[in-house]
Amino acid sequence: MNNIRIALREVIPNRLRTTSRNQWPNLTQTRFYARATSFPDYFQNPIFRKEDQAKLIENNELSKLAAIPVKPPAACETSSVYYDPLVNKVINHVMKMGNKQLARSLVEKAFENIKRKQIERYHLASTPEEKAKILLNPKDVLHRAVENCKPLLQLLPIKRGGITYQVPGPITEKRSLFLAVKWLLDASNDKERTVHFPEQFAWELLDAANNTGKVVKRKQDLHRQCEANRAYAHYRWQ
Amino acid sequence: MFTRNLRVFFRRYSQTCTFRTSELSPAQHSENQIGMFYTIDKNLCKQLFGHGGLPKSYMKQTKTFTETTLMVRLPALDIMNCIKNTDFDKPVVRYVLYGEKGSGKSLTMAHLLHYAHEQEFLIVHVPWVSEWLRRVPRHKEMANSPTREGFVDLPLDAAAWLLHFKTQNQTLLKNPDLKISKEYTWSKRESTAEGAPLLELVELGIARVKYACDVIDALVYEIKLLSNNKRCKTFVAIDGFNTFFYPLTRLRTPTKRTVAPEEVSLTTSFLTLTKNDWTNGVVVVTADQLAVPEDHQESYLPKYLLYKKGFEHLDPFVPIEVGRYSEREFLTCASYYRDRLWLRGPSELEDELKFTSACNPYKFMELCAPL
Repeated sequence: MNNIRIALREVIPNRLRTTSRNQWPNLTQTRFYARATSFPDYFQNPIFRKEDQAKLIENNELSKLAAIPVKPPAACETSSVYYDPLVNKVINHVMKMGNKQLARSLVEKAFENIKRKQIERYHLASTPEEKAKILLNPKDVLHRAVENCKPLLQLLPIKRGGITYQVPGPITEKRSLFLAVKWLLDASNDKERTVHFPEQFAWELLDAANNTGKVVKRKQDLHRQCEANRAYAHYRWQ
Repeated sequence: MFTRNLRVFFRRYSQTCTFRTSELSPAQHSENQIGMFYTIDKNLCKQLFGHGGLPKSYMKQTKTFTETTLMVRLPALDIMNCIKNTDFDKPVVRYVLYGEKGSGKSLTMAHLLHYAHEQEFLIVHVPWVSEWLRRVPRHKEMANSPTREGFVDLPLDAAAWLLHFKTQNQTLLKNPDLKISKEYTWSKRESTAEGAPLLELVELGIARVKYACDVIDALVYEIKLLSNNKRCKTFVAIDGFNTFFYPLTRLRTPTKRTVAPEEVSLTTSFLTLTKNDWTNGVVVVTADQLAVPEDHQESYLPKYLLYKKGFEHLDPFVPIEVGRYSEREFLTCASYYRDRLWLRGPSELEDELKFTSACNPYKFMELCAPL
């Protein structure tokens, strides 16, 4: 089928193709690649947010990028007000076998659960100070939860004199984000069979945003372990 | 900067003022209130919709919003206007609500029910026909009808409906005028005497579940007679009416025979109620795509959904379309959601949501959920 499409692409001019393929014009971006593509290194990542583009124009960097080839943005990378890179990241972590639609619906269900719980709490709270404390935006809850779960140190297995030592060391920003999201998902997957994932995920996020719960404890455990193993720290460079 | 802030402030202010109406009685609603929300009293809501009537997703919303509100929309106003101008000596007028999935047919009906309750109609309301014919929980009570050959009874569903009927018409049923015209004999020992109040009949059906279907049959007959004699005016509301005409139900007799809807005794009772051979009443039914399985959901128009049989049964009727939100309705709904903390974020969000939901009320509610 794809081969035919490519053959068609060469034969039929662009305008004809869109009308003949479908009754309605495609609203989402579609690209016809024969197989999974990997773009060469010199292809830049696309800048698809309006704010980022405005920043480029302000700094006069647009002319530099004009001549460089750019990758097409993925279907989920939109300039919507609702777009959030961290949410996208979490969705990708939840995703299995490339089923992004399902992953997205699960995360959104979790957000809905968080929102319902927080609104309920908001209505129950009696004083305005208490009300102000409650995070109503589920995305804020997610951001705070991930922030609270990020570890500051990590243990690296290093072999010295035939013995493997767990050596504490610094952690990169990227890996600590990875660990935070992974731990959150591990914690929510560790549940009763009858509890649905969105529900449990919502609870975990709320707990973590509150600086309590399984995941924060796991982070603290890691920190404690690093503290206990500080005598091995010199193995990192010796 | 200052003028912009001022403008934003005024816009906010005008929004907060205009999405709610203080007019709580549906009879007083007029074109001016289109798109605005009015609150239903909690106790009344429990009385009218305690046993179903509002969609499940909407019930969830009412819990989160801590109040039950309905939007005043044109279709409901149209029907109310028609009812006000109806000559009740003529045969009943039948209204068919139709529209896309999630456009608010059931909520329009809820609005009308509130109106009917206020105007002291005797309400005969079926919350969702598919609940009887298409939803089969593990233990669905079914029995062959003892009185009518070849019919199937759904005693538990019938008794539940009688309870619903009783709670909806609590006050009206106390009226001593509502009496039975003839004697009904249920078994050797049990019978209902002539001239007994209607409430007794209903309570018998609830207490003796075995006879519930026959009681409904008798009740329908009596209600028609009472309305003809001007003892009461009746408001019949049936949601998901087209299920009665879909060729098959999901019920199976103990001998594994599939059951057609016309073989269910409840169907026949409620179909006699929607005929126009009686007076002093109003009939509102909905034709809903969700009431039938997916193979018959290609169009939302009543002629397609009701089949030829249903169309001829209802003909002549007044079709009323419940459409998507208009511009104004969408804005008031969005500001209502903002007020109830359901929607947050920059105001450009509304434009996006309007585009993605295509102004479909249910879709809009769904899309707001994770925001």
